[in-house]
This record gives sequence, C-alpha cells and structure tokens, in this order.
Amino acid sequence: MIKIKALNKQFGSKDDTFHALKNINLEIKAGEVVVINGISGSGKSTLLSIMGAIMKPTSGVVEVDGNNIVSFSDFHASNYRQNRVGFITQSFHLFDAFSVKENLFAALCLSDLSTKEIQIRVQNATQIANISHKLDRVVSTLSGGEKQRTIIARALINEPQIILCDEPTANLDRENSLKFVEIVKKLKEMNKIVVIATHDPIFNELDFVDRVVSMKDGELE
Amino acid sequence: MVAILSATLFVSSSIQKDLLNTLEDQPDFTVQRYKAGKVLNTPSAWIDEFLEIKGVTNAQGRVYGTHYYDTLETYFMIVGVDMYETQIVDSLENLLGSIDIDKFQSRKNMIIGAGVKKFLDEYQYYDYYIFRPPDRSQEKVYIYDSLSSESGIMSSDMIIMDIDQARKILGVEDGYVTDIILEVKNQDELQLIKEKLIVSHFNVRIIQKSDIESYYTNLFNYKSGVFLALFLTTLLTFLIILYQRYSMVWYVDSKEIALLRMLGWRIKNIIWLKLGENFVVAFSSYMLGVIFAYIYVFVFNAPLLKNIFLGYKNLSNEVTFAFSLDLSILGLIFLAFVVPFLLAVIIPVYRVAITEPSEVMR
Repeated sequence: MIKIKALNKQFGSKDDTFHALKNINLEIKAGEVVVINGISGSGKSTLLSIMGAIMKPTSGVVEVDGNNIVSFSDFHASNYRQNRVGFITQSFHLFDAFSVKENLFAALCLSDLSTKEIQIRVQNATQIANISHKLDRVVSTLSGGEKQRTIIARALINEPQIILCDEPTANLDRENSLKFVEIVKKLKEMNKIVVIATHDPIFNELDFVDRVVSMKDGELE
Repeated sequence: MVAILSATLFVSSSIQKDLLNTLEDQPDFTVQRYKAGKVLNTPSAWIDEFLEIKGVTNAQGRVYGTHYYDTLETYFMIVGVDMYETQIVDSLENLLGSIDIDKFQSRKNMIIGAGVKKFLDEYQYYDYYIFRPPDRSQEKVYIYDSLSSESGIMSSDMIIMDIDQARKILGVEDGYVTDIILEVKNQDELQLIKEKLIVSHFNVRIIQKSDIESYYTNLFNYKSGVFLALFLTTLLTFLIILYQRYSMVWYVDSKEIALLRMLGWRIKNIIWLKLGENFVVAFSSYMLGVIFAYIYVFVFNAPLLKNIFLGYKNLSNEVTFAFSLDLSILGLIFLAFVVPFLLAVIIPVYRVAITEPSEVMR
C-alpha cells in the first residue's frame, strides 16, 4: 500500500521557485491500477520519481507498506529501488550495446539469486513482456516496441510489487500501445500496484483500471 | 603515450647502462703530456718510470686518435693495441667470439665497429680501406672482422689495429704513445699516487676515473634534457586526455550511472564497477604501451628516437640497444599514468552517482 501525504516539490532557487507538486495526497491499495492523467509539465513524472525514490521531495511523506521512503538513506533507497519497485520509462533507457538478457542481468546482478533462480526470473519476466524470443539480440537492433518490452521485462525481473510507468506509450504506435495495455492487464492479475502517468487517452476507458486521477499545475484534481 | 614514455626510458636507460659499462673499463689514471695548453704525445719511457711508483699495478701506453674522412665530414676512432697483450686478446675474444692473432698479424688488418662497417660498406670498401697518414703515404689495411652493433655505443665508430700500424697512420713517432694508463689496486692511494705523478713530471695532465665519470654524467644529463622535453610534452598530452575523460563522464557515462542507480545500484557498487572497468582499460593501455616500446627500441632499434639521443651525423648511432630495464621507473610510470587516469574517472563518477538519478534521466 502506498500513502502519499502533503507532498510538495519545489525546483529552483529562493528567488525563482517552481512548484512542481503542491500538497499531494493520494492512497493506492495493493493490486490497484491507477492512471494519472495530465498534460506535460503538470507534475506526473515528478510524482512518479518521488514514489520510486529517485527524487527527494521538498516536504511530505510517501509511505510504502508503512515505511516512509522519503527518509531512506542511500542504502535503503537503493534496496527499495532494487526489490520493491520497477520503472517503465518513456525514453528507452537501456544499455544499447548489450543484449536483452544482459540488460536484465544489470538489474539482477546485485542480488544473491542462484543461476537457476535467475533463469526462472528471466523466463517469467520475458514471457510476461513478450520478449523471450529476442533474449540474445543486441538492444540497438530492436524496434521501439521491442525496446519497450525489454524495459517492461527489466521492471519485472526483481518481482517488485510496484510498477511505475512514466508515459509508457509516448514512443509507441497504436498496435504496440495495445500490446502494452495487455501487459498491464496481466500485471493487474498478478495483484501488483501499477501507476501510469500518461496523457494517452487509451488508458481512460479500460475496465481493469481502478482509478483515473488528473493532475494540473502540480495539483491533483 | 605510455609507449612514447617507455621508449624514451628504454633508450635513455640503455645508453646510461652502456656508458656505465664503458666507465667500469676505464683505468684509474690516464696520463698525458701537456705543454702550453696542448696535449702532446707522451714518451713510452715514462711507462717504466710509472711502474716503479709503489701502488701502481699496471701501466700501458695507448695509441689512438681520429681519422677524418673529409668528403663526408666523418671521423673514425683509431685505437692501436698490443696484439700480444693477454688482456687485449681476451677483450677482443669477448667482442668477436674468437680471434687468431697470428692470422691477424700476418698482414695489415683491422677490426671495425658496426658504424664504421656500415659507412665503409656504403662506399664499397668491403675488404680493405686505404688510410692516408700525415707523411702522405698510403696504408692499405684489410678488414679482419667487425664488431656487432650490440657491442656498445662507444665501439661503434672504432677501428682497432696493431699499435705500430696505428702509430704510422696517426703519425705518432716511435718511442711515443698518445697517453699512458695506470691502474692502482688500493683506491685509497689514488690521491697519493696522483701527487707522485705530478712530482715526477710537472708537465702532465692527469685524468682520473672520476673525471671521466663526470664527463659521461654531463653528457647523459644533456641527453636527459631531451628526455625531459619529451616527458613534459607527453605529460601535457596526458593531462588533455585526462580532462577529456573527465568531461566524457558527464556527457557519456551519466545516463548509464543514473540508469544503474534507478535499478538499485548503490554509489559504492557504481564506483567499484567504474574502477574495475577503467583499471582494465588503463592497465591494458599501460601493458600495450610498454610492449610497443620494447618492440620499438629493442627489435626495431628505436628509429628517430635513437637519432634524437645519439645525433644524426654520428657513427655512434649505429648501435643496437642492449636491454636495460629499471623496474622502479616503470613502476613510477604505472603510478603516474594509472592513478591519475582512475582519479579522472572516479571523481566525476562519484559526483554523478550522488546526483538524484531523476535529474539525469530527464
């Protein structure tokens, strides 16, 4: 369960302050799929970054299963990012010179898993993301949709409970966007928390989406 | 860069070793007759006088001088030796492998250095060379053998022949030698013997081993200046590379670091990864540089660099560098190259790693 209380984020100096998030309060239960709608610059990505512990807020609390991740040290924040959360980003943030499998290992190599467990996880994640047939392909030779599915597989490889998706379909065509929707449906069936920050209307009418919230100028509407 | 530094180091170290080896063979004293600021030939009779000085274990006359080939402005160093002197025969056998003295003495023969051989071969003097002594006669001297290029820098422009033959070519009168060399067993007596030599003949110039040592040191220091210039140029290049590498971390590696941070890598994990990665790069470059330098100097005989150190119009540069390796200096290059390289990477990596990944991922 995620509880966000009075969350604020400001950028810039005292004289030139930009309020990216203003008093955000949000609660997401286990297994919920939440879509955060809003135009570019509304604060969706900032909110996701704070929920993923890759950014610190100016003030406020983000509780995940009772722990305030905002106060985590680097050690605990890294552990949280490694085991509890998976990121699906808009840009294809991958190691282009490596194969799909090697990109997955980058997320796994700090864990204490045995070779067999690693194989099982790779198999499961790539099957869900529908990229298991391209495991040995170098990322730079993949299409946009395949790169996105590699990112999804990587986000799932550590079996996290929370999946944060930042504009996941922004660089995909309609066909690949629909494939992504199917994957989100599978994640819902796996009882994972999925938070999708998007301005793509494709997510608005989906029956498995629990909530659609809108953001404008750093505030939830 | 490491290759240039190491090559320079190999050359300078090899020359230094060669000069030090030459120094080891130098006599304790060299005595020359001196008058009005000029060196004159020394009477052979002085040899017996010097042998009577207590503490002097050996005294020998030497006949040597330069033969100038004016067409090419080239000098040969003619060294006359007593071919029946056991010590001389041993030295020649060391240099040549074996020598038949009777055969050598059966006609006018000479042994030539590698530089002289190359020069004479160029002008098709394969079997003999005709010298023109000061009395305007002609002396046809046959080439008995040549010294290998490994035998040292000092022997490259050398022609070794019988002492009487050398005396004739150089115009040294009978009963005279160029100088007399003395050996002293007890090194504590050097000063005393020097005083005795001055007392016995006031018009003498006495050169001690230490004088030759300072001469070589000065000569080598001058060459070291060349080394220093090369070293500074290389260092400057290295600093530019370091700066470039430092900047590259910001532009190229920052995304990768942020991505790893997003995947749960801790700062120390990233530093170890980058340290390992760059150590492999730096160490491989270092090893490759040293190997290239080794091949360049000891296999190809350091073309270009050799000329910088030994000069262009000099027979002495017909030498093959003898392997000489100072591990402490190679270690110093390792530290001077690898440590700054790693620091130039690790400092910006740390700075990127402590930045919020979201900043870089945007």
